[in-house]
Amino acid sequence: MSDFLHSRASQPLISPKRWHSGRRAIAYLGLALTVVAFTLAHAGTAMAANTTAGLSRADGYSEQRLLEVFALMARGQSREALAKAEKLVQDYPHFQLAQLVYGDLLAARTRPLQTLGDMAPDTARAGAATLADLREETKQRIGNVKERPPEGFIPSQFLKMAPQTRSAIAIDASRSRLYLFENTTNGLQLKADYYVSVGKAGVSKSLEGDQRTPLGVYFISSRLDRKTLTDFYGVGALTLNYPNMLDVRRGKSGSGIWLHGTPPNQFARAPHSTDGCLVLSNPDIRTLIETTTVRNTPVVVASQLVWKSPKQLEDPAKSFAATLESWRTAKSSGDLKKTLAFYTPDFSSYGKSLDQFTPMLKAEMKATKGRNVELKDVSYFQWSDSAETMVVSFGEVSAGKRTGMHKRQYWVRSSNEWKIFFEGVH
Amino acid sequence: MGKLISVVAFWGGTNALVKVCCRPEGWLLYKEALRYNLAQYKGGTFVALSSSRNWYAPTMRKSPRFAVCLLPLLLTGVLAGKAWADDFSEVAQLSREGKFVEALAKADVYLSSRPKDAQMRLLKGLVQRDAGKPTDAINTFARMNEDFPELPEPYNNLGVIYADQNQLDKARTAFEMALRTNPSYSTAHENLADVYGRLSSAAYNKALQIDLSTAAVAPKLALVRQIITLNPTKLSAAQLAALPKVQPATQVAIAATKASPETAPKAAPLPEPAVRPTREPATAARKPADDNSPTTAKSATTKAAPTPPTDTTANREVEQAVQRWVTAWGDKDLKAYFAAYGQDFDPAGKQSRNAWEEERRARIEGKANISIQLTDLQTLVRGNTALVKFRQNYRANGIAISSRKTLEMVRQGDNWKIVREAVGE
Repeated sequence: MSDFLHSRASQPLISPKRWHSGRRAIAYLGLALTVVAFTLAHAGTAMAANTTAGLSRADGYSEQRLLEVFALMARGQSREALAKAEKLVQDYPHFQLAQLVYGDLLAARTRPLQTLGDMAPDTARAGAATLADLREETKQRIGNVKERPPEGFIPSQFLKMAPQTRSAIAIDASRSRLYLFENTTNGLQLKADYYVSVGKAGVSKSLEGDQRTPLGVYFISSRLDRKTLTDFYGVGALTLNYPNMLDVRRGKSGSGIWLHGTPPNQFARAPHSTDGCLVLSNPDIRTLIETTTVRNTPVVVASQLVWKSPKQLEDPAKSFAATLESWRTAKSSGDLKKTLAFYTPDFSSYGKSLDQFTPMLKAEMKATKGRNVELKDVSYFQWSDSAETMVVSFGEVSAGKRTGMHKRQYWVRSSNEWKIFFEGVH
Repeated sequence: MGKLISVVAFWGGTNALVKVCCRPEGWLLYKEALRYNLAQYKGGTFVALSSSRNWYAPTMRKSPRFAVCLLPLLLTGVLAGKAWADDFSEVAQLSREGKFVEALAKADVYLSSRPKDAQMRLLKGLVQRDAGKPTDAINTFARMNEDFPELPEPYNNLGVIYADQNQLDKARTAFEMALRTNPSYSTAHENLADVYGRLSSAAYNKALQIDLSTAAVAPKLALVRQIITLNPTKLSAAQLAALPKVQPATQVAIAATKASPETAPKAAPLPEPAVRPTREPATAARKPADDNSPTTAKSATTKAAPTPPTDTTANREVEQAVQRWVTAWGDKDLKAYFAAYGQDFDPAGKQSRNAWEEERRARIEGKANISIQLTDLQTLVRGNTALVKFRQNYRANGIAISSRKTLEMVRQGDNWKIVREAVGE
C-alpha cells in the first residue's frame, strides 16, 4: 500500500503529506506532538505495572491505544494512525473520543486537518456541547501523559497505611484522573491510573442534588454487583461513605456517591458530566472492583493532589503517631479524665454527644482492667482544607485478648492540639 | 466531500497488447492478438481465458508452442470482435431500456460459452445493480475478483455497491483493493476519497452522538463500465524510455480552457480519463525493454534507439496539431476535435469509430466546461510518424484529473493526425 501512498502525492484530492503543512494543522499536531515523548515511556511503565499488579487486562488499555494514535499522528504516520484508530473503534465503538479522532484521520485522507474534531460546521454546531466535552477530555487524557506524578511519590493524604490494607485510591479532579495504588512492603506503589469523570458542577459537594463530587477522605463502603444495578452503572459500582463524619459535622447533605461504570452505549463520559459520582469506563471500574476491599480501601478525592515523597511524609506521620500513642497510653492507664481530654466538646458518635459517649468509654476502660490497649492495623490519612483533620482506623485489642473492635476516629487539630471529634466502631 | 463522481463508459472494449512469455529468455508480443476477454495476465504469465473454440490456455501456459497456438485464435478473435461488440451493446441497450431480464438472459447466453469473459461479467454485474439486485451484483463482482484479482474495475464496482448499501467499511476495502491492483486508478481514488468523507462523517456523528443524516448528501460514486486495456499503446517501452535521452525534449505547455455554462450537466457528469494508466505487472517490470509491438515499433526497437531525429519543423507541426486537438476539445468543437484523428484512428477497445465518436460527443457535450493543460510535452518524429508524450491536466465540472498520455500521430498530407491515443507511459 505504500505505492498507493506515494502515488497519491500527486493526486490533488488526497494528500496525506499535507499533514505536515498548514499553520493551523500545528494546533492539532501541537497537542499530539507533546504526547510522543511521554506516551512511549508511559506505555512501557503502565504495561509493566499492569502485569506486576496482576492487572494484565484491558483496563486503561483503550486510552493507551488512543494515545498511540495521537503519537502516530504527531509523527506524520497518518496511515498507521488510521489503522490503529480503526481497530480501536472496532473494539470500543462507543468510545466517542476515539470516534472523533478516527473521523479526523479519515478526513485527513482527503484534506488537511486544522483542529481536533475537524468536521463540517453544521455537524459541529449540532453537537457543539459534546464536541467541547470531547476536546476537554482529550486535554485531560493528554495532560496526564504530559505531567506524571513524580516517580515514587504519593499523595500527601496517605500518611500511614496498615499493611492489611492492600490498595488505595486517590482522585485528582483537576486532572480527571484516578490513581490506584498497591500497598506493598515498600510502601504505596502506583499501579495504574484512569480517566475519571466527576460532577457536572465540579467538586466540593455540600448539598443534596448540587451535582458536585465531594472532596475528602472516604472509604469503599460496599460493592454493588451489576445484576442488582441498571445498565446505567455499567459493570458494577463501589459506594463511598459520603457523607463522612467530617461532612456530617459540617452539615453536608446528599448521599449515594459511587464509583461506577458506563452504560453499554457509552464508553466514557465527559470530564464534568456526573451528578456527583465518579464514573470510569467499564474495564477500569472492573479492575477497581477486583483490587479493592470494602471498608478498608481509602478513596481520597481532592480537587488537586499534592504529591510527596515517602520521606517527606515521615515527619508528619511520626508526629501524629505520637499523638495517637498518647491517647492510647491515656486510655490504657484507666484515667478517664485524662482520656476525655482527647475529645472535643462537640464530639459526636453516631448521634451521641460526648456526655452520652462518656459512659461507654468508661465501660470500655473498665473492661480492660488496666491492661494495655493495643492498636493493630493502624492507618491514618490527613485531610487539610479550612481545617486540619485526620481519619484514623485501627483494631483496638486489650493485651492478652485475641480479638477487639475495629474503630475509626476523626481528629481535628485546633490550636496545635489534635482532638477526637468522632469515634465509632465500623 | 460532496463531489459527484461519475461513470467512465466505453462500451465495446479495448485491444490488448498481449505479452506472451514463451521462453524464459524473452517475450513475444502480439498486438491485437487477443481481445482482453480472451486473455489476461495471471501470476505474471499470460494466459488465455476463453475463446469461441473451447480453447483454454492454463494448461498451455509457458508452452513453447503457445505463440503458435495463438495464431488461429488471433484470427477468430479479430473476426469475432465485431459480433461481440454487438452483444455488449445489445445487453447495454436492453439494460438502458429497463429490460433487465432480457439483458441478463442475453449476458448469460453469452457467458455460457465464454464464462471467463471479464467484460461481459462486468456488464452483467452492472445490469444486476441497475435491476435492483445488488446482492447478485456483489456476487458477480466478488467472483470476478477471485477470477481476475489483478483487475481494479470489479473491485471498484463492488465498492460502489457496498457504498450504495452504506456498508462503508467494505466499500473502503474494495476501493483500496482496486488501488492495490492499480495505484493510479483515478476513479477508485475519487470513490475512496468520498468513502473516507462519509466514514469520517459517520465517525463524527458517533463521536458527538448526533444523527445527522448523511445519506441525503452522499455523493454518487462512479461505476466503471469497461475493463480497460492492459496497454493500449502501440509504442514500445524502449522507444518511450529512449525519448528524453534521444531528443532534447521540446517542452511546451498547451492549454485549452472553455467555460460554457449553457450546457445542462448530465445526471452523472463523466470524468475524462476513460482509459486508466497502464498497469505495471511484475513481469513487465522484469523485462520492460522487450515490451514491443509488432508493427511500427518493432523496427524502431530492432534498429536500436540512437537515431535522433532532428526535424524540428516536423516537431513544430506535430505540436501545432496537438495544440489544435486540445483547443478543439476545450472549446467543445467536436468537428475540429474529430478532425484531429486520422481515418485509421484505432479507438481503444472493441469500439467502432462511430461508437467512439458517439461516446466522445456525449462525454464532451455533457460537460459545462472543460479545461485541459498539457505539460512536459515531448515529441519524437520519425519520418511520417510521431510520438507525443505529455501530462494531461484535465478539469471539468469540478473534477480534476492529471494523467500521462501518449499520442501516436501520422502525417497525412500537410497534417498530422492522431492514430492512437493512450493513457500511461
